[in-house]
Amino acid sequence: MNPTTEPYLTQYQARADTLPGRRVNWLQAQRRAGLARFTQVGFPTQRDEDWRYTTVKPITVKKFHGLNAAAESAEFAESAEHADLQAALDAMQIKGLQSHRLVFVDGVFAAQWSHSQSALGVPSEGVTVAPLAQVLEQNPHWIEQAFGSVKPDKAHGFTALNNAYSQDGVVVLLAENARPTTPVEMLFVSCAPNGCAQPRNIIIAGAASKVQLIERYVSVNGKPARDKNSAAACTFTNSSTEIVVGETAEVDYYLVQTQSQAAYHVCGVWARQARGSRFSCRTITLGGALVRNDLGVELAGEQAHCDMFGLYHLSGAQHVDNHTTMLHCAENCSSREWYKGVLEQRSRAVFHGRIKVAPGAQKTNAAQTNNNLLLSAHAEIDSKPQLEIYADDVQCSHGATVGQLDADALFYLRARGLDEAAAGEMLRVAFVNDVLNQIAIDELKQTLETMLAARLTGNRLSSHP
Amino acid sequence: MLTIKNLHVSVDGKPILNGIDLNINAGEVHAIMGPNGSGKSTLANVLAGREHYQVTAGSVAYKGLDLLDMEPEIRAREGVFLAFQYPVEIPGVTNLYLLKASVNAIRKHNHVDELNAVEFLKLIKEKVALVEMHEDFLYRPINEGFSGGEKKRNEILQMLLLQPTLSILDETDSGLDIDALKIVAKGVNTVRGDARAMLVVTHYQRLLDYIVPDVVHVLHNGAIVRSGDKSLALELEREGYGWIEARAAAQP
Repeated sequence: MNPTTEPYLTQYQARADTLPGRRVNWLQAQRRAGLARFTQVGFPTQRDEDWRYTTVKPITVKKFHGLNAAAESAEFAESAEHADLQAALDAMQIKGLQSHRLVFVDGVFAAQWSHSQSALGVPSEGVTVAPLAQVLEQNPHWIEQAFGSVKPDKAHGFTALNNAYSQDGVVVLLAENARPTTPVEMLFVSCAPNGCAQPRNIIIAGAASKVQLIERYVSVNGKPARDKNSAAACTFTNSSTEIVVGETAEVDYYLVQTQSQAAYHVCGVWARQARGSRFSCRTITLGGALVRNDLGVELAGEQAHCDMFGLYHLSGAQHVDNHTTMLHCAENCSSREWYKGVLEQRSRAVFHGRIKVAPGAQKTNAAQTNNNLLLSAHAEIDSKPQLEIYADDVQCSHGATVGQLDADALFYLRARGLDEAAAGEMLRVAFVNDVLNQIAIDELKQTLETMLAARLTGNRLSSHP
Repeated sequence: MLTIKNLHVSVDGKPILNGIDLNINAGEVHAIMGPNGSGKSTLANVLAGREHYQVTAGSVAYKGLDLLDMEPEIRAREGVFLAFQYPVEIPGVTNLYLLKASVNAIRKHNHVDELNAVEFLKLIKEKVALVEMHEDFLYRPINEGFSGGEKKRNEILQMLLLQPTLSILDETDSGLDIDALKIVAKGVNTVRGDARAMLVVTHYQRLLDYIVPDVVHVLHNGAIVRSGDKSLALELEREGYGWIEARAAAQP
């Protein structure tokens, strides 16, 4: 008996009969497979090469309440006492952003804070947005083909556990040529102390469709939040998102992690791109005690292009592991990966970038860069490229830098009258800005700019133009 | 305004400047010429306060203050400006952002009210027109993707904006075509005045056709070997630097 998986299995048995879509055979088969896989492999350890630099012990030694907490929290949200949560959520809004928004509190759909241009589950501008639980109960055939088809077969324990639950999350369906004018925002709020949420999302972008998606993870203090001095609640989120990018579709996807430094998050995002499609993925990680982002993109059709940008700013004892896999499976595809990080204090970051070029994926052009700014002698980055190339006519490059602020740039700014501290702040902001400038949603960009400027400068520069 | 006495400077233990004496009065433009490796850029950088240059002897007085004792930013705020030979590219910060921070840092130091966004924009647009730059440059990251000429014009733009008391131009003419050179010179000449001084470091005489110096110095092996009026620059142009080296060899 495995002491780390046992509590999760016990919890699962207690909740299995309450999961949505229990009469859907293909879904139940996937859940059984997920449970079997989880039982078999358990949680990953550092003996596993893909987890060499990240230990998940901080998660597995704690007792998270699984779905019970979520249920409690839903009651809490509906109770008269949710004014605090309402105010906290208002404060976390992306200022000025119009969106189709679905909100989940501790993994449970919160209809009162969600809104869409039309009723949930009813198409508007060719886009249908709905909670997964609703789709599994009412229209499981919408997602039957795609659900579970993008995730890797040999999933690690967290993904397998998420598969076993397949409880709730966001479903986004884009009809052929659909081009919604507003982004879809998926907001996951961790709230209850020791609560565990396992969101499961699926996005299916039809041929020639175009969409912007924001997947955000935030923390709000749970019940004790009424005591303003209470520490942030320790929470665990195990999320999983599958994205099917149809022929010549364009999907612009943002993964934004701004949870408290007491939050744990294991996050999986998998995309498959058909011919001529474009997938842009921007991962911004500012929050969390321990965050693992597994991103896997499969360039399955010819002439597909993927941009994968990442940004992390860490302090305290934060640990963030960005683990990316770019699978080039077809000819004439290109991919560009660019991760930048600023590390302070005792924080630690891992970047593991795997590029695999399958036999026959000729004329592949893949580039990968990881730049890090280490602002403390105690911070650590482990940056590891991994190129596996099985075709002969390809261009692949990778590079990583780890450094302090550029002395020439510092002198240049000081020679223009800025003191050393202000010059340093300006360069730290500059370092992150060139990734922020890749954000195509202005409201999101401004929110993150303000947030980062405050973090990197102690607000000194945020009042400037 | 600027008095350099017996200045000796080393880089990584290697002597570069071997006893420079130079006096620049308000209102004057001095040119420093010399072959590659003579120490011209070292002089410019030491005056601006760049690190890892060790001053081993000598002194520099600026407006009666000990210049070498001042941090680079204090020099800048006191009116010393270095137009860089190789302006640094800083992706992620717009020109405008730096320029405003810079102007206001200097104004604050001098107890002048800081400019607000509207006042600043009005001022900078006047200056942009003077160096014939497109206003788009203000919103681009500092020097990123600029051509050599654009970078140099950007330096002059900064100079026009900051109105320094002592401007040091480090090979501002290098890499410029004749049209860009004229624009740069025009900008520089608008900063000339009775209360200001200028030190123009250049390899070629060409720039001095447009920025006419009061005094020309020839630097060789880290020392001034000859000074004269603007005709000295023409002589160097005609004869090259070979004769200096020959003379140095003859008189060790």
